[in-house]
Amino acid sequence: MIKTWELDPNFKEEIMNERGGEHLTACFQCSTCTLGCPIIDYVPTYNPRKIIQMSLLGMRKEVLSNPDLWVCLICQTCTARCPQDVRISDLLGAIRRIADKEAEAGKIKIESSRPIFDKAFQHQLAKYGRLYDMGLAKEYYPKREGSFFKGMMAMMNDYKDFGMRMFKKGKMGPKAMFPEKVKDLAVMKKIFEEMGEK
Amino acid sequence: MSVTKLAYYPGCPSDATAMEQDMSTKAVFEKLGVELVEVEDWNCCGAAEVEDPELVYALNARNLAIAEKEGLDIVTPCSICYYNLERSNQALKADEGLRAKVKGIDSSLDYNGKIKAKHVLDVFVNDIGLEELSSKISKKLNLKIAPYYGCYISRPPETGFDDPDDPDTMDKLIELMGGEIVPFSQMKTLCCGGPLMMTRSDIAFDMAMKILDTAKSAGADCIALACPLCGMMLDGKQADIEKALHVEIDMPVVYITQLLGLALGIDANELGLNKNVVDTKDILGKVV
Repeated sequence: MIKTWELDPNFKEEIMNERGGEHLTACFQCSTCTLGCPIIDYVPTYNPRKIIQMSLLGMRKEVLSNPDLWVCLICQTCTARCPQDVRISDLLGAIRRIADKEAEAGKIKIESSRPIFDKAFQHQLAKYGRLYDMGLAKEYYPKREGSFFKGMMAMMNDYKDFGMRMFKKGKMGPKAMFPEKVKDLAVMKKIFEEMGEK
Repeated sequence: MSVTKLAYYPGCPSDATAMEQDMSTKAVFEKLGVELVEVEDWNCCGAAEVEDPELVYALNARNLAIAEKEGLDIVTPCSICYYNLERSNQALKADEGLRAKVKGIDSSLDYNGKIKAKHVLDVFVNDIGLEELSSKISKKLNLKIAPYYGCYISRPPETGFDDPDDPDTMDKLIELMGGEIVPFSQMKTLCCGGPLMMTRSDIAFDMAMKILDTAKSAGADCIALACPLCGMMLDGKQADIEKALHVEIDMPVVYITQLLGLALGIDANELGLNKNVVDTKDILGKVV
């Protein structure tokens, strides 16, 4: 049941003020995005059309705490097919960034490890300018599992076979233990300070 | 042929999981007489994990500006890097305010919108062209091939350089090299699941499995692709998928640059064909 007194009439403006969310109100609810999405085979509740409708209605809390936001593949199928150029892939990204800020502020809880992963990834770029796989795994797994030990166990479980395969092919050796760094690290720091999450 | 020199953006997996893509890209361009100048001190494009578009634009402005100073168009073998480079290029070209904002971060991000960003497949087929390539091809690929395009070669339409419903640049190149395309149209542009690998591996494995299984049922000798994340999912993780889903696949997965290299007569090891995880020996026997 929708309780009108709990709706946030400013929510659609909030989304449209985020980069990528500008075209929200162009949606005419045709469902092309949802029916063509490869994720609906796996997550039957996944419904970008509904997320848009709920956003337009101002159902801020329900939208931002919807775990389905985090199973989007960013594969751009919806964006390519949308007859109204809503740019759904970018739009969902904008909603995810708002959700992430709310979670950081302790106002909602996100039932997905995706934000932890994305942030761990970004931290490597801010520090080194390039992706450092080991650094990413060392940050992601312990945070996801809630302890360093459990994190390392989970990492071993996911990566022991894969790592050995890569090692045998000469793709992952002692060199992979250390980050590849860009020389101009000062500029990377500036980019993330100016444009990254505050 | 108008292309003689390009700025080369290798991307982060180029010295790790996708080193065979990097090796084969360099070898192929050398054989084609195109000089690649690596973008000096390049930084990561942001991949799929940096979602804030402005942050993506700033990260890529630096790489674009370095190539622009050299007066060269920029080329990458990675579909995700291509998407980020090209969408940044378009946004920065169109928006003077954005250029000023990005330049305000650091003078090294001063990009004036004077170059193009290209995917290697686009350069091969549309810039160098099939006619030019055909004059240099010396070997025939007696192979049945499943051409897998993934997401960013054709989507979103603003940056994609192929048809989002039925892309065919890779098909044309494969046919030129004597390869046979197996029925694969349902899978050509389906996402490999890679972006969910670390957070929903159950979904990611199943999506990759669909692609591998379709190629196998269609009788393909190998899958051809052009993105290191797809390569990691379909080749690097294939044994994990087999184990998790209790199936046997054993489907070789190669980069389109490796296939083009073989057709151009380049040595298999120089193309890194001993680096692909699923053994490629059977493929090599069918290149004549």
